[in-house]
Amino acid sequence: MGQMTTTQSLRQSPILRPSGLIVVGLAALCVGVLVATGSRLTLSLFAQAAIISTLALSVGFLARTSNLVSFGHAAPFGLGAYGSALVFKHGLPAEAGIVLVLLAVFALFFLIGLVIGRLNGIAFSMLTLALGQFFFVAISKLRAITSGADGMLIPLPNTLFGLPSRIFQTPQGMLIIASAILAVLVIGIYLFEATRAGRLAMGVRENEERVLFLGYRTKLLKASLFAGSTTIAAVSGVLFALYQGFVSPEIMHWSFSGNALIMVILGGSLAVWGPVAGALVFFFLREWLSEITDHWHAVLGLILITVTVAWPGGVTALARTVRQLLTGRNAEEERT
Amino acid sequence: MIINALNGLVYGSLLFVLASGLVLVYGLRQVVNFAHGALYMLGAYVGYSVTMHAGFLPGVIAAGAALAVVGVLLDVVVFRKLADRDPLVTVLVTFGVMLIIEDVVRTVWGTQNYAIDPPAALSGVVEIAGAPFPVYRLFIVAASAVMVGGLVVWLRYTRSGLWVRAASHSPTVAAMCGVRTNLLGPLVVGLGAAFAGVAGIVAAPFLSLNPTMGAEILVLSFVVTVIGGLSSFGGAFISAMILGQVQAFGIVYVPEMAALLPFLLMALVLVARPQGLLGKKE
Amino acid sequence: MSILFRCEDIGKTYGGVVALKDVSLSLETGKVHGLIGPNGAGKSTFIDVVSGRTPGQGRVYFEDREVTGASPSAMRRMGISRSFQRTSIFPALTVAAQLELANHGAGGGQTGELVQMLGLETVLNTEADEISYGQQRLVDLALSLVGEPRVLLLDEPAAGLSVQESAVLAGHLEEIAKRWDVAILLVEHDMDVIFRVCSILTVLASGRFLVQGNPADLRNDAAVIEAYFGSTA
Repeated sequence: MGQMTTTQSLRQSPILRPSGLIVVGLAALCVGVLVATGSRLTLSLFAQAAIISTLALSVGFLARTSNLVSFGHAAPFGLGAYGSALVFKHGLPAEAGIVLVLLAVFALFFLIGLVIGRLNGIAFSMLTLALGQFFFVAISKLRAITSGADGMLIPLPNTLFGLPSRIFQTPQGMLIIASAILAVLVIGIYLFEATRAGRLAMGVRENEERVLFLGYRTKLLKASLFAGSTTIAAVSGVLFALYQGFVSPEIMHWSFSGNALIMVILGGSLAVWGPVAGALVFFFLREWLSEITDHWHAVLGLILITVTVAWPGGVTALARTVRQLLTGRNAEEERT
Repeated sequence: MIINALNGLVYGSLLFVLASGLVLVYGLRQVVNFAHGALYMLGAYVGYSVTMHAGFLPGVIAAGAALAVVGVLLDVVVFRKLADRDPLVTVLVTFGVMLIIEDVVRTVWGTQNYAIDPPAALSGVVEIAGAPFPVYRLFIVAASAVMVGGLVVWLRYTRSGLWVRAASHSPTVAAMCGVRTNLLGPLVVGLGAAFAGVAGIVAAPFLSLNPTMGAEILVLSFVVTVIGGLSSFGGAFISAMILGQVQAFGIVYVPEMAALLPFLLMALVLVARPQGLLGKKE
Repeated sequence: MSILFRCEDIGKTYGGVVALKDVSLSLETGKVHGLIGPNGAGKSTFIDVVSGRTPGQGRVYFEDREVTGASPSAMRRMGISRSFQRTSIFPALTVAAQLELANHGAGGGQTGELVQMLGLETVLNTEADEISYGQQRLVDLALSLVGEPRVLLLDEPAAGLSVQESAVLAGHLEEIAKRWDVAILLVEHDMDVIFRVCSILTVLASGRFLVQGNPADLRNDAAVIEAYFGSTA
């Protein structure tokens, strides 16, 4: 076994196998059918679900690669949303402004990651929770800049990335854009995991101590993964701000981070796409429950408890079992 | 100055009672209980209703008893079944419990604010260093001291307390030595929940009742336990006291930024000592 | 023969309890130095302290340069490698993927020869949690061997292996020491392996240095028999 070139290892990625490409194609087809036939309300729900899925993907990515579980990703989400809102409000060049906001989030959380990356397990999670609340309180208190608890209306520029801005606020437009970005991110993460840095990240998740004893330093890697993951959350925040045209501090509250985490655990982390599946399940379950009962919080709580007690591993574990039943072979052989 | 420090002591005491419930449950079950704030809130509301009909003391007792029952159920129905699962999975479950309790509170008591007057015997003011100070706030400190003092005595000097400490240190070893961990679970989680409930009703005349009171104080209780070192009562005590003072003086000197101070403090402590003030190194 | 790796006065205290005190030994290139003693003698603690896994007392020299307190990753990049008593591998990665990871971390090279020697060819594309325990032990060893380290600290590599597997392992260790000019410290309970491959032995008991000497002499040393095998042996 010699050294593998990057192209060779990328080619081994599950997403580039026929089955992966078929799934991507089917997902695109579903979005296409939805856009062509769905009602305005349905499309709007799916657009929101696609945006929130991106947030869940960011939390899941961090958990999957470095075993760090964030309770505070509402912070980068909110910073992305508020950052782009402020860019538009002050009439700064919109495209450059958004890119700058994303870069700033990456840089900020890279530095934070350098400091808190040496914490593991529950201590890391609690610290991200507190960090998230810090940003929530800060945004709420900085009334002069953010209008505090009242929230901010976002005046969109006429065009954005060459598209008329109103497209970002129509359900069809946002559904297509958000799904495309989500797809690019999912494929990107699959490809990343096939690279050497990606393998190392998986190694850190599996057994960080051994990685250190193999001669690697993990500090920069973990900070980069943390920063990368928060940047994905910020992308989700930017999309949210564009679609809603309004931001308020609630999107930075810890309960918002908590929802993202619920989606990740519901989805499971056996596959990259797990958090996206979890987000869709959670989002539509919540919508459906809130239509049929006023006590949807309690019902949702009951479902969460039942599902976790009775059905560990989430959607991805279920998918594996189903595939095992369908193909009759050991799904372990085909870990994705 | 002294009044500020006293207010900090009052707030710190409340935080400590809440945090000690979290520490207790975390120690035995390794569960980070996101429902703890909701239990605190439920205690406040149950206590409120009973107080309105029967007086404050029955209210406190009812809150403690009701929440103890909830805690025992929580352990028997949920936590025990998840004992060997990933701690994160139990986090999800406590989220579910939190959603249910919040829904119950909204359904039974609505979303408006409530306020309770302190009982007549504790409603006066005393003069401390030339300034008036409500007697009830001193009662909060005393009540917290009694509760936590009782907890410490129980853990230190009784057989069942020894079992809890042994099981928190190593469940397997304790089980091999004949400690019946299955009985300790309901006991400890019930006690933790009862502490949250009593804290809720005791705090009610000092703060006010509303459906978000639990979510607000939960994060601060987490901050207290993390600064203290997750499973250390001593650490939680020190950090609750510091946090109380930081809050009290922060509100006076930097009112805009006061709410940020606990998080800054936590960041500072964890940068210097990742395992918390009195936490054990892995 | 030259001394490549030297440990002086290594010690470790756990909350007031002395687990290891003032143990010194040195490793020569091409030789296997056995570290033996009953359970709780402090053998694993010795490796943990020396390799930077846990903080402790004492000084460590590599090529006459003091490397005390260097981080695990710095040690490995210098060429000081270790294995683990409790198998420490990557359960969800294929054997090939983790060897590749180790290979790159150690600075690159070929893993083919190693795979062949340890007989891991057939499981290269299997995830590590799907292979037998004996093979997992070999993967752990392989991870330590990748990149031809200069010093190897092996913590019970034969634990959990069958008698035949242990014998094969002993053969590998002899070959590795000779062919690569590696200095090996071997903590091991399997006395067949120890007496076959070690040219010098250090015996610990209750965290203290007991005696050092060549295996043939120590086999009959009364103190060693007393401490290690019990008085009836």
